[in-house]
Amino acid sequence: MRAYSVSLKQWVKILSLVSAKLNVFAPFKRNDFLDYELLSDNNLDLICFNKAKPTTPLKAFFFPIKENVVKERKKLQQVIFGVPNCDLEALDLLDKIFLDEEFLDIYYKEKRKNTILIGSDCYEIDKNCHCTSYGINPYPQKNCDISFSLINHKVTLQVHTKKGEIFLSEFVTDLTEIDEIPEEILRKREKTAEKLKLQHKDLPNAEDTRKALQKEGTVVWKKFAKDCVSCGACAVICPTCHCFLLIDKANFEKVKIWDACQYPSFERVAGDEDPLEKIYNRLKNRYLCKFVHKPDMFDEIACTGCGRCIDACIGKINKNELIIEACK
Amino acid sequence: MSEKNIYKPIKYKVDKVVSETPLIKTFFISADKEFEFKTGQFVEVTLDGIGEAPYTPSSSPYVKEKMELTIMKAGYVTGKMHELKGGETIGIRGPYGKGYPIEKFYGKEILILGGGVGLAPLRCLILTLLEEEDKFKKINICFGAKTPADFIYKDWFDELKNHKNVELFRSVDKADENWNETEGVVTALLDQIKTDYKEIVSIVCGPPIMMKFGAKRLLELGVKEENIYLSMETNMSCGLGKCGHCAMGSLYVCKDGPVFTYDEIKNTSEMIEFRSLFDKK
Repeated sequence: MRAYSVSLKQWVKILSLVSAKLNVFAPFKRNDFLDYELLSDNNLDLICFNKAKPTTPLKAFFFPIKENVVKERKKLQQVIFGVPNCDLEALDLLDKIFLDEEFLDIYYKEKRKNTILIGSDCYEIDKNCHCTSYGINPYPQKNCDISFSLINHKVTLQVHTKKGEIFLSEFVTDLTEIDEIPEEILRKREKTAEKLKLQHKDLPNAEDTRKALQKEGTVVWKKFAKDCVSCGACAVICPTCHCFLLIDKANFEKVKIWDACQYPSFERVAGDEDPLEKIYNRLKNRYLCKFVHKPDMFDEIACTGCGRCIDACIGKINKNELIIEACK
Repeated sequence: MSEKNIYKPIKYKVDKVVSETPLIKTFFISADKEFEFKTGQFVEVTLDGIGEAPYTPSSSPYVKEKMELTIMKAGYVTGKMHELKGGETIGIRGPYGKGYPIEKFYGKEILILGGGVGLAPLRCLILTLLEEEDKFKKINICFGAKTPADFIYKDWFDELKNHKNVELFRSVDKADENWNETEGVVTALLDQIKTDYKEIVSIVCGPPIMMKFGAKRLLELGVKEENIYLSMETNMSCGLGKCGHCAMGSLYVCKDGPVFTYDEIKNTSEMIEFRSLFDKK
């Protein structure tokens, strides 16, 4: 894997050059929320580097909230900068679902192909971040083209793919190649991982969670479901939730829109039979899907420990508290 | 985009529509492109701008130039489907799912248990079996309906009786004065069949309650769990194993089914909940 070193000033200049040609999305802080915005010369000096995850999960770039999947679309090249590893890890599952050889989703594939992903190390953590509990590191290792880290005004770029190499060579000519990742980056990564582990030291790992949830009767589900209002925020904000509904439009067009198993009638059939009629069964379905069914079906757990579902829950249901209680 | 778009339906014409019962109609669809499907697979049918729903064809997969779909009016989309008169254009995606593993039935005695509109996919199965009738020991068919008037395919039964390898049993929940066959639930017909249930392959399709009690009775009679085939009905949107609607435990009904053996699904929460109902009795 090649690595390069550039000054922060130089990197911002590179981003500016790229954004003149392509759509570049980068993280910005607005009203206490970190989220992606389209980069332009007007906001160039406000980009946030190496923070915790942006509010919007990466999936939204490949699997938009609403998309006409019959009409032809323009192929738009885009760059997403500052992607945290929890979102990159989620691509393992999403790719297995949407790039499945038997039924390939060309809309998803096209966007994956036309996107340059620049991942970034997390040097700050949010209180609900818990990727390390599921064996995920707070820095990118795969599923991105380039990864970014900034320490002491010095940027280190690690190139993970051929696509990333070509992209860089298109925009920059004077990069300094380095032989090794600077020691201070490795130390910083280690320190962040340790902080995360300490923050959630009581949270069981994925395997223990799976076993406990499988055995759980109804007590925990009923208790936590009391605060659920079926808003579906946990699914909308989740980097791995992929459920959708096809809505029909005139001329045999179809619009794929995000759906969530927390919504009433998600599984209702004609004649009104509904296996997920009860709210606690819907909550149970969500957790079993994440820790039991997805591992069975795709060999992937469907939780990367980003903690967004805890941040987003209107009823203040804490996923980790639920799991700790189920594992008791 | 040169690759196939999995979401885009192909347009077909509805030739004619035949009323089977007040709530059930059969739609005859003709194809300029041939229909290729295996018995037990389903298609997603789009009504332009209205909605899409999955149906299993009721015609034989050996007939390639046309397809028949028998559909009960049960909700919004099927209600709109029932408004078709013939001549309209509909969209079809598929076929999807796994079919019945016919090769596994060779040399065996078969028992088919169906009720209501569940006869539709079973008709497709039976027509397929009859293409190679000699390969099966015997085909027992048990059909049920609410009343004699609620039977679909009324003209087909006499034809079935002409096959030497087929024995047909019928029951209705409520008989009328002309009915001289069984009155009662469809599972009661099983008592009339003299066979070694341990060796039989059974296929069940009908309303959820019939499927559940059908499976229960078959198990009591000694049919092996892996020899009970059930057609599952779930909410479904994409049919492609992506949208998540039809998940049943760690299975997608669209991709892994819609036909499952009892032992494949007995541990899903839906079946566990059902079994607990009769364990308490």
